[in-house]
Amino acid sequence: MSENNITAGKRHMGLKASRVLANSTIYLVLSVISVIWLIPFVCILLQSFRVESTYQVGYVVPQQWGLDNYTKLFQTDFPRWYVNTFVIALITAILQTVIVLCMSYTLSRFRFKMRKPLMSFMLILGMFPGMLSMIILYRVLKDLGLTQANAVPGLILVYVASSGMGYYVSKGFFDTIPKSLDEAARVDGATRFQVLKKIILPLSKPIVIYTVLTAFMGPWGDYVFARYISFGTSAGMNVAVGLYNWLNKDQIATRYTMFCAGGVLVAIPVAVLFMCLQRYYVEGVTGGAVKG
Amino acid sequence: MASVKLTDVKKVYDNNVTAVHDFNLDIKDKEFVVFVGPSGCGKSTTMRMIAGLEDISGGTVEIDGVVVNDLQPKDRDIAMVFQNYALYPHMTVYDNIAFSLRLKKMPEDEIYEKVTNAAEVLGITEYLTRKPRALSGGQRQRVAIGRAMVRESKVFLMDEPLSNLDAKLRNQMRAEIILLRQKLNTTFIYVTHDQTEAMTLGDRIVIMHDGYIEQVGTPMEVFEMPRNVFVAEFIGAPKMNLMETELEYSGGKYYVKPFGAKIEVTGSKAEELQRKGVGSRKVLLGVRPEHITLTDASAADAIPCKLEVNEMMGSELHLHVYTADGTRLIVRVPTINLSSEQRKAMVYGAQLYITFEGKVMHFFDTETQKNLIYGE
Repeated sequence: MSENNITAGKRHMGLKASRVLANSTIYLVLSVISVIWLIPFVCILLQSFRVESTYQVGYVVPQQWGLDNYTKLFQTDFPRWYVNTFVIALITAILQTVIVLCMSYTLSRFRFKMRKPLMSFMLILGMFPGMLSMIILYRVLKDLGLTQANAVPGLILVYVASSGMGYYVSKGFFDTIPKSLDEAARVDGATRFQVLKKIILPLSKPIVIYTVLTAFMGPWGDYVFARYISFGTSAGMNVAVGLYNWLNKDQIATRYTMFCAGGVLVAIPVAVLFMCLQRYYVEGVTGGAVKG
Repeated sequence: MASVKLTDVKKVYDNNVTAVHDFNLDIKDKEFVVFVGPSGCGKSTTMRMIAGLEDISGGTVEIDGVVVNDLQPKDRDIAMVFQNYALYPHMTVYDNIAFSLRLKKMPEDEIYEKVTNAAEVLGITEYLTRKPRALSGGQRQRVAIGRAMVRESKVFLMDEPLSNLDAKLRNQMRAEIILLRQKLNTTFIYVTHDQTEAMTLGDRIVIMHDGYIEQVGTPMEVFEMPRNVFVAEFIGAPKMNLMETELEYSGGKYYVKPFGAKIEVTGSKAEELQRKGVGSRKVLLGVRPEHITLTDASAADAIPCKLEVNEMMGSELHLHVYTADGTRLIVRVPTINLSSEQRKAMVYGAQLYITFEGKVMHFFDTETQKNLIYGE
């Protein structure tokens, strides 16, 4: 019997050792990847504090440190762009979340004739790149007077308009919540909207947060549509478009480090959001498949 | 407290499958009606149509004289208990029970009173602050009942509320539902696939099969006067034995001739057959396991058979036997009637002699499967 115990013990040790080895390899690889990943961010952060030269230089760590780039940033149109971006992203996040969640609930719980055709139609529609619609969108928005200086409402309209198509993840999650909960609540006297608000959403916190985050992130970092619709008018630009203009041949020499400072300021709110909510975000991405 | 009336209620699904055919039923105020039948017979669908959770394809549902076909569940003034409890997992027991009252915008102190009262009746006071996942199955079911109770609605619907509980707890909760019914004194509609639940709980039982009502009656009626073979087999456990045999009418007396024996039909059954004018013919004979008795080889009407399985139930034995032609029958024998030698002899392959009691036989048409006496 004691012999058995010894062999079992050896086997156990072997298992443990191989697990330790596997884990250390994984962590090593992940650490290398994250260092490579972080290099550009660190470079931008360091450049933004460089005072001695506003152009690109051949070294990374500044010789003279200071906040000059940040103070100068606020004398340009940058605050305007920042506010534009924030307003667009915030309003889009709110509207898109409401639309996506209502859409998902409807497709998950209601049975109507065109439900399946509608879902496949949206799936096929989603396969076309959004860029295809750019010219016609510009045309329509221009006729409505929502381009250039009025690009902010125009952009919100563009971002929110197609948001119902992003229902997949949340519908998948709602599908895992037993229907009998809806039914119990409806018998208890709740309307469909009250069911969504009081039963489904509290049970879907990760998905709600995921939806808000992705809805906020899209417009926050968008460049193509924003550039097209603001069309060279500084008042209608978002940060991505505005900052990118500073990389032009004639501006880059004086504004490169300011560009870096702007980049850091753009990254901060998103980074903070992610750090606070990353637990939910991960749950949300994987949540559709696993019962909540 | 209300009557419920279903007139020609029909459910046809989008794929043209008909789940419920022309369902007609009048449920009286304060009556306890049980829908019973095998899975897929349409009993739950019918209840869900009453609740408003399922569209009604045809006919009308009336609650308290008002047609509710187009009313939302919340406007029908019903309460419902679900098979899987359907408790809101993110709310405490208290909030679960209070949910419907809060939707009604009832003042909090009134809610408190009602919830604590219900909790006391159901014995769940100490769990009020817990979340449903911290409760056992029986406790969850009590919460679900509590949630329905506080609504004080006109009709109380229960959809297989005991199916998820283990056998012992099920018996206990069944008794509690009977008590609850006396306390609430309202109209109950109860769905189950378990004939024991149906028999013990219902004032009236509605037996359903493939979307049709097979029979409506009190537990005693459906047990003693099954309208057809389906009801006869479905009600009663173990199920009724059926065998094709000759019914002979001679000299003013009826005889059945199963497996070469000749047994006289006696009592009210013989009178009823005579009144209906049934002559000699082929019938499907139904005999309940408890109406078969063991007898001696020498008895005139003894049917020889061999024992296959002996199920010891404690107070009685369920003997699965087969006759010379291979027909399988189930016999229920009270243990108390057997000597210890007899009990020991009940082993595989043992030779037994059985006979049927003449006054409790059932006769069905071999084609239509309808009861020759109560079929219409």
